[in-house]
Amino acid sequence: MSTAELLSVRNLHKKYGAVTALRNVSFTVRKGEVTALLGDNGAGKSTTIKAIAGAAPADSGSIILEGQEVSLRRPADANALGIQTVYQDLALCDNLGICANLFLGRERVLRPFGILRDVDMEAEALRVLKTLRVNLPSLDTHVSSLSGGQRQAVAIARAVLWGTKLVIMDEPTAALGVAQTAEVLRLVRDLAAQGFGVILITHNMHNVFEVADSVVVLRLGETVLEARKSDLTPEIVVGCITGSRTTVGGAA
Amino acid sequence: MTVSVDNMTSETQTHSPMRRWTQRLVQSSDLGMAPVIAALVVIWAVFEILNPHFLTARNISNLSAQIVVTGTLALAETFVILLGMIDLSIGWSSVVAAAVFSVTTVFLNWPVWPCVGLGIGASVIVGMLQGLLVSRVGVPSFVVSLGGAMIAEGVSLAMLTPHGGSIPLSDNLSTMIGTLNIAPTWSWILSLGLFAVFAGVMVSQHLGRMKRGAGEGHSVFFAKLGALFVLLIAAVGTLCAYRGVPWLLLIFMAALFICAFLTKSTRFGRHLYAVGGNAEASRRAGINVRFIQLAAFTIAGALVGLGGLLDAARLGVASATVGDSDIMLNAVAAAVIGGTSLFGGRGSVYGALFGALVIASVTNGMDLIGAPSSIRFGVEGVILLVAITIDTLLRQRRLRSGRV
Repeated sequence: MSTAELLSVRNLHKKYGAVTALRNVSFTVRKGEVTALLGDNGAGKSTTIKAIAGAAPADSGSIILEGQEVSLRRPADANALGIQTVYQDLALCDNLGICANLFLGRERVLRPFGILRDVDMEAEALRVLKTLRVNLPSLDTHVSSLSGGQRQAVAIARAVLWGTKLVIMDEPTAALGVAQTAEVLRLVRDLAAQGFGVILITHNMHNVFEVADSVVVLRLGETVLEARKSDLTPEIVVGCITGSRTTVGGAA
Repeated sequence: MTVSVDNMTSETQTHSPMRRWTQRLVQSSDLGMAPVIAALVVIWAVFEILNPHFLTARNISNLSAQIVVTGTLALAETFVILLGMIDLSIGWSSVVAAAVFSVTTVFLNWPVWPCVGLGIGASVIVGMLQGLLVSRVGVPSFVVSLGGAMIAEGVSLAMLTPHGGSIPLSDNLSTMIGTLNIAPTWSWILSLGLFAVFAGVMVSQHLGRMKRGAGEGHSVFFAKLGALFVLLIAAVGTLCAYRGVPWLLLIFMAALFICAFLTKSTRFGRHLYAVGGNAEASRRAGINVRFIQLAAFTIAGALVGLGGLLDAARLGVASATVGDSDIMLNAVAAAVIGGTSLFGGRGSVYGALFGALVIASVTNGMDLIGAPSSIRFGVEGVILLVAITIDTLLRQRRLRSGRV
């Protein structure tokens, strides 16, 4: 299990006005692994993710990507470094087609007018969707007419299309049925198998033990547990989330 | 599991592409141009029954010139409405363009083309300043453009009142554009040539789609293209039976096609729709949302300037009374009637053409049957309310199925 370290988060602190959202968050994500990020509401999961995604930088602390400290001030910084986030709301434009969403903000164009190279983009999109074994209708279908699972697949495919290293997923199965959840979890495993690092935020303990390789638990803005899944039981994890267990697991 | 094109229900798969297309139209929450074209057919039929002069070549020629100013301003408004915003300044801003043009050509005696640039430039500045306030400060466009309209009114009056409120134009360019038609021979050459280019682009795109197994099928595509060709022949034929294509109409159609290219085929257009559909998602995708907003208001400004100059050319005079007329409300109504959603992100620049046709047809037809303005306003109001109701119902249908 000596896979290479991909991302290391060290001592993140963040205040929103008088409220301390993060007081001491540290954990490590490895290549080809799924790291589950857990915690109760308000534990700091979303704030942590926003710091890594560049959406809302932390006040202090460091983020180290492949051994180098990086500065993530804007989403574009994270994107440029190969960090892609699939937000809970999916951040899709429902009024655009599947392919337009996959290439949103990174369209391939011809100079000088920025003419869209739709043919090239659709070919590339088909290639990625095939590697993910995703089942979608015609690529010019508006995202508004897709099912919840299909929309999730589009958002994940977009992350894969652009995120060459790390994919962050915020509650990808929250709004899905059983079959669609299984499909998305399969996608998560596939991503890790292809060498991506994956951070998975979820409330669902079943999901964690099905797909995660390591588990990080936040509580009141602090890392209270970081361990391999094989060293854990659901009871330990739940105990750390609720605070009934206060020992910090050190089996990293 | 592989990527497949035919992920529809087994029932729809068995139907022909044509049947599938109509079915998709009925079930979809995005009806495109279908309602406005249906409305147009009804309006024309009613007026033709009430007065057989309605569909004569001469009246169609008049109508084609009457849509130009409303259409150009609706085109401008479409860029802003696609963002889910509104620009209430387009009426007075268009007067600013006409005032600057008339003062510089008539009183300063400057050559006409630089004055065209100055006139349009004045409206561009109005649009750009509003765009800056909206995009940088985040002031609601409704309020910004309300203030913008007042300032534009002040500027227009400052320039026009010393000359009695209106300045007659006498330059050759305004006279030609405002009153003359392109000779029938050239009308045919120009329109068929433009259609050949358009069809060439569409066919090559369609063949590319078909090769990848996507697209709507040959029958639907060529039926649409054929229908468009028949429409073009009918329109140009009718106009040539009178005096040929009005210069006004040619300029409007050129502006329309440039806008269609900009919104449908370029990265800027893609981003315009994206920001209108989901600004936060666009921002996260790395799109410069503020720039798109600023650009939309600026482009709208340029089109407003063009519309103002065309109106002045048509009337033969730059007049302050234009700003007080219903020119702005007509343009907003035309865009909405043409299917552009006030919620943003949905619609098309072609809606400006069809919406303007609806408004102009009602005005023209009412004049023809001698109906008073009271009835005309009533009818136009009802049409507008029907259009916005359809838009709202479709949005609710999308919301119900969980698609914002």
